[in-house]
Formats: sequence, structure tokens, C-alpha cells
Amino acid sequence: MKKPSLIKSLLLSLLIPCAVLLVLEIIALAKGVRLFANTDSWKLFFRAVANVTLTTFALSVNLDSGRFDFSLGAVAMLSATIAGTLSQQWNMGPWLTLAVAVCVAAGLGLIHGGIYVLTRIPPIIVSLGMALFYEGCAFAFTGGKGVSLVTRMDIIGFSQIGNYILVTAVAVMLVVLLLDYTRFGANYRALVSGQKIAVETGIHEVGNALGCYVVSGALMGVVGFIGMANTGSQQMALNFGSIGIMFTAFLPMFIGGWIGRYINKRIGIMLGAVSMALISLAYARFDTASSVQSIISALLLVLFLIYLNNEFAILSKFRKKQGAKA
Amino acid sequence: MKNLKRILCLALCLMLTLACLPAMAAGSVKIGVLVADATGAEALAFRAYYEKYIAKAYDVEFIYSEELKTADGEKDAIDNFIVNNCKAVISFSSVDRPAQIEQCETAGIYYAVATGTLTDEEYEDFKNYEHYVGAIGPSLNTEFQVGYNMAAYYIDQGMTKFGMFGGAVPYRTDMHIYRAAGMLCAMVDKGGEGAAYQGVNKPDDIIGMIYGTGTIETGKIGNLELLAYVGGYDFDDAWFGKLAQMAGTEGIEAILTVGSGVDVLGSFVAGSSVKLATVDSFTPAMGEAMNSGIIDYVAGKFATSIGPIFIATLNAVNGQPIRNEEGCALALDQGYWVATNAEQFAQYYAVDSSEENPAYSKDILDAYAPAGVSYEDFAAFVAQYSFEEITALKK
Repeated sequence: MKKPSLIKSLLLSLLIPCAVLLVLEIIALAKGVRLFANTDSWKLFFRAVANVTLTTFALSVNLDSGRFDFSLGAVAMLSATIAGTLSQQWNMGPWLTLAVAVCVAAGLGLIHGGIYVLTRIPPIIVSLGMALFYEGCAFAFTGGKGVSLVTRMDIIGFSQIGNYILVTAVAVMLVVLLLDYTRFGANYRALVSGQKIAVETGIHEVGNALGCYVVSGALMGVVGFIGMANTGSQQMALNFGSIGIMFTAFLPMFIGGWIGRYINKRIGIMLGAVSMALISLAYARFDTASSVQSIISALLLVLFLIYLNNEFAILSKFRKKQGAKA
Repeated sequence: MKNLKRILCLALCLMLTLACLPAMAAGSVKIGVLVADATGAEALAFRAYYEKYIAKAYDVEFIYSEELKTADGEKDAIDNFIVNNCKAVISFSSVDRPAQIEQCETAGIYYAVATGTLTDEEYEDFKNYEHYVGAIGPSLNTEFQVGYNMAAYYIDQGMTKFGMFGGAVPYRTDMHIYRAAGMLCAMVDKGGEGAAYQGVNKPDDIIGMIYGTGTIETGKIGNLELLAYVGGYDFDDAWFGKLAQMAGTEGIEAILTVGSGVDVLGSFVAGSSVKLATVDSFTPAMGEAMNSGIIDYVAGKFATSIGPIFIATLNAVNGQPIRNEEGCALALDQGYWVATNAEQFAQYYAVDSSEENPAYSKDILDAYAPAGVSYEDFAAFVAQYSFEEITALKK
């Protein structure tokens, strides 16, 4: 297949987010609402970009290798709970609290990965168990009360547009660097492409899997902290109450996969997250009921999957029509 | 091999014995507790009172269900209580109360409703059931009044522009709908001549309208204005965005919340001049929020408010249920404590959270434990729920 030119690649990469923005602006115009009305709108947008980008990285880093992970939300919750509690006790600032959350979450990822590689139980089962275990740990750690930092203006003050952009940019750079420009990343991509062949060529799949769980955990530590700083509290969840967060990552992951044909896949995921953040902003600005939001989000996911699975047929028909017209 | 089998058998016996020890050591009366919320501050405070005070003060053991969201879950939990030889069930879960009552009646174990009441129709259906102890908690009228008083508090201070968080209104949760309706009715009553909410001004009509739409419409109510409204518990980016928008709405003076005010809006109003009012519970985190000025008004169910329903249930288990002259079960209303400043909150919290001498201590409850306690006396006792009245009882 002929590789498109750089300009064409860039234009195709920006096609989905730009199309989403255009459609939403038209709807906003029709409703007489401004999509980006004030600082709160921008804040919502950049927070959603940060949350969805990082969550999608965390999900895809394991899912690309067939390791489904239901424990992402629980890792975010437990790491934020521990970091928030320590922040309360030792009066730690926001950046130190964020660092603690990342370290704790990376450790939780390592434990999860360790249990998976030691027991060889299917990853989906291990992740379900770990989700329950981490939810229970967070509950026990705080006696079920969660963490309240609403009076900590320094922590709440982290919720700034600049910080969201900084966190997202650093995370994207580090993930691109790690997965595309290191030996670990080369091994990771080889294992994703074909585990059997990769292992036969001497790649150590256990170490790589552990590394992926650590990266996934660390990213969810950031997500957990962002959530806690936004509301000033960390609520507890039991009985898989934390798994909802991973479902926000599916559509941007598929969009990222599509954009990844024209540009770096990780950048593609971020652009997918930008599209989702625009939709989240529109839900808020248009005051869309949550039931309607669920229906729209599910429809978008299904329609995009239908397109991906029938892309060749759809494009062939389109080209035939174009040819007939010509 | 033979020795190994013996060792395994011995180990198994030892494990079984050890497993039985806590049950043998525990209280002689087991009471199952159905909960719909296992993590909320209010739920944790209730649990702490039962497990840390009541269980020690009386010869009882509480067995808690998981967080219940479905009628099937409630049924399974009661089955589990029956298997565990529970003599009674105290329910904080209301997905299908009639089914719970029927199940307990069939099984011959006592059933009581905590922090809630049955509808009039339900009470008529079940009031004569032998094992239905009754219900003690805020009636829907009390829920309405708590919302009304909250809104009136700010309107009387001269505020005219409000925001509202409706919590579980979209899910048609009765108590949240009644609280929200109370707030709107206060605005209608105090909004000047011709004030109405969406063209109606009678409480029943407003309640019916909220049940119908599952939401609250913003707009003018006489000379008052509801500038913004958010409902639901979506916890996604869009929902947090709506909350932030509400807190940042130009001109808004106070945000009235039917519940969870600090958890969902605390960070958005922190540092602003917007007053935040909520229906919640008396917890340390809430106290901190009150001290720092984030929250301004708390109407709270006090943790020990579930003391009277416990003693009524224990009486029933001991063969001396409290019934009225017609032999009907309890149906008693209980209200909230309202704190409007940090000192008041601290005073309430100190009494409510005490593990040694809580608001409803054993001394107070024991007065209603002997056989022959009349319905009227017990009702009069429950009606004295204000902080001042309970403090006077303790003296």
C-alpha cells in the first residue's frame, strides 16, 4: 500500500476530531449555545483529554497483547486513596501527592502483573479478582470513609488547564518514548504482533508483561489523582463499582487505531481522546440527560466498529460511485 | 500416608473449631442488616453506632449484607440471614420492601425499617403482620419539610438566585424528590405574588411534576430565580462539567442540594462566595468543610437515630413487641438535626460520634426495653428527636 504524504497523513489524522468539532459547533449554533463559553468549559475539555488519554493508554498497553484489565478504576481509586491520605497526614503538596499516587499505582500494577505471570490464570480473571481486591483494600484503608481534601486548596488548585496540558503532554511523550523508541517498546510491539515468534527470537515476555502492568498502573495513578483533585474527595466503590472508567477508553482506542495508520498510534489515541473530550463538553454544555449520553456514546462506538469491520466494502462502493460519476 | 491423613483430619477439625469460636463468643441474638449503601458517610456512621456501641451494650451480633441494588439481591441477603439463624432483619434497603416483609413473615423472623417509612398503602397492607416490627425514620412529609426549611433559610436572608443539585431525582428516588419539591415550594411561597413553578404552586402538583419529568426546570419563580440545576450521580467528565458550570453561574448566591453536597460540589464552591447547603450526616470531613466555610447548612440524620428501631426490634425478638391498641406495627416519624454554623456542628458531632456515650445511649434505650411499653410512650420518646430534647433526656 502506498504511504500517504506527510500533509495528507496529518489531514487524515485530524479528520475525526475536526469533524466532531464541526458537527458539535453546528449543533451548538442551532441551540444558541457556545461550546467553549468560559474557563470552566476549557477546564472540562482539557481534564477530559487528560483522563481519557491516560486511561486509554493504560487500557491499550495490555489489551493490545490480549490482556483485558478490569482493575484500572480500582488502581486509580486505591492509589488516590493512599496518596490522599498521606497528603492529609503529612500535608504534602499536589505534585508530591501526584508522585506518590503514581508510585503506589505502579506498585499495584506490578503486583497485578506478578500475580498474572506467576499463576498464569487468564488475565481477564486475574483482573476481575484484582479489581475486587483493590476496591476492598481502599475500603479497609479508610474504614470506608474515603478521603476528603475539600479544604485543601493547594490540592484542589491543581485542577488548572495548564496542569492538565502539562500532565497530558508529559504522559504522551513518555509513552511514545517508551513504546516507540526503546528496546522495551520494540519487544512490546514484537510481542503484540506475534507472541510465539517473538518469544522464539529470545524476547522475554514475562518481563515485558510486568513492565506493561507497571506502566498501566502508573498512568492510572495520574488519573486517580486528577479525579481526586477535581472533586476534593475520593469516594469508595465496592463490588466492581470502579470498573466503569475503562469503558470510556474503548472508543478513543479504536479511533486511535484508525488514526494510527497515518500517524503515531499513541498520538492517534490522544486525538481520539480529544474527540471524546469534545463530546463530553457538548454533553455538559447542551445539558444532555445521562440516559441520552449513554445511548449516543454506545451508538458512536457501534457505528465506528461497523465502519471499521466493513471499511473495505464501504470504500469500494464509494469509489465505484465516484468512478461511475466520472 | 496414614499419618498425613491423621494430621490433615486434625488440622481440619482445628480449623472448624476455630471458625466456630467467633460465632460462639458472639452475642446470643443475631440481627441481619440490609444496606443499599455500604460506603456513604451516613451509612458508615449508622454501622459504627450498631457495631461499636449497640453490639457491645446489648447481647447482639449484627450481620451486614453487601451493598444491595436489586430486589433479587435483597432476597438473597435475607436468605443468608435466615441460614445464619438471624432472629430479625433491620432494613436500610428499599428496592422492594413489600417482598422483604413477606419473606421475613414467611420465615418467621422480625423485620423493621430503619431511617425510612412505608407508604400509607404499604402500611395498611402490612401493619398486622406478626413479624413486622414497624418503621422509624423521616416520613416523606419530613423530607419535604427539610428541603423547604433549607430554601426558606436562604430566602429569608434576602437571597434570590439559586442553584439546585437533585441527586437521585432522575432515578425517581422518593426522598430526593420530596426534598427538591420542598425547596421549590418554599420558593413559590416566598417568591411573592403569583409565584409558581412551571405554572403550578401546590405541593402535590409540584411533586407530581417532578415524578413525571424526573428533572427540575430552571427559571423564575416569582421574584426568585432558579438559575441552574444538575441531577444524577454520573461521575463522568460531562457531569462534573455541569456541576462546575452551576457553581460558576453568574449571580448564583446559594446552591441547595438534596444530598452529597460537599462530595460533589465542595471543590467547585471552595473559595467562592456561593453558599452550599446539603442534607447529609455529621462526619469529621463535613465538620472541616463547615469550619472552612465550604458548606453553610447541614441537615443531617444523626447516626444514633437508629437506636429506637433497634430497641423496638429487640423487644419483638424478646417476645414483647410494641404495638398500638389495634395491634398494629410501629409507624413513627423522625426528623433531622440542622447545623448552620461550625460551633453548632461541632456540638452535634461530639454527641453523635461518641462511642462511650452516644445520643441514644443504653441508659436511654433501656427505659423502653421492659415488657409492657406502650405504643404512645414509645411514640412520644421517638418524637423527641431534636438535639436539645435528646440532650435533656440524657440528663
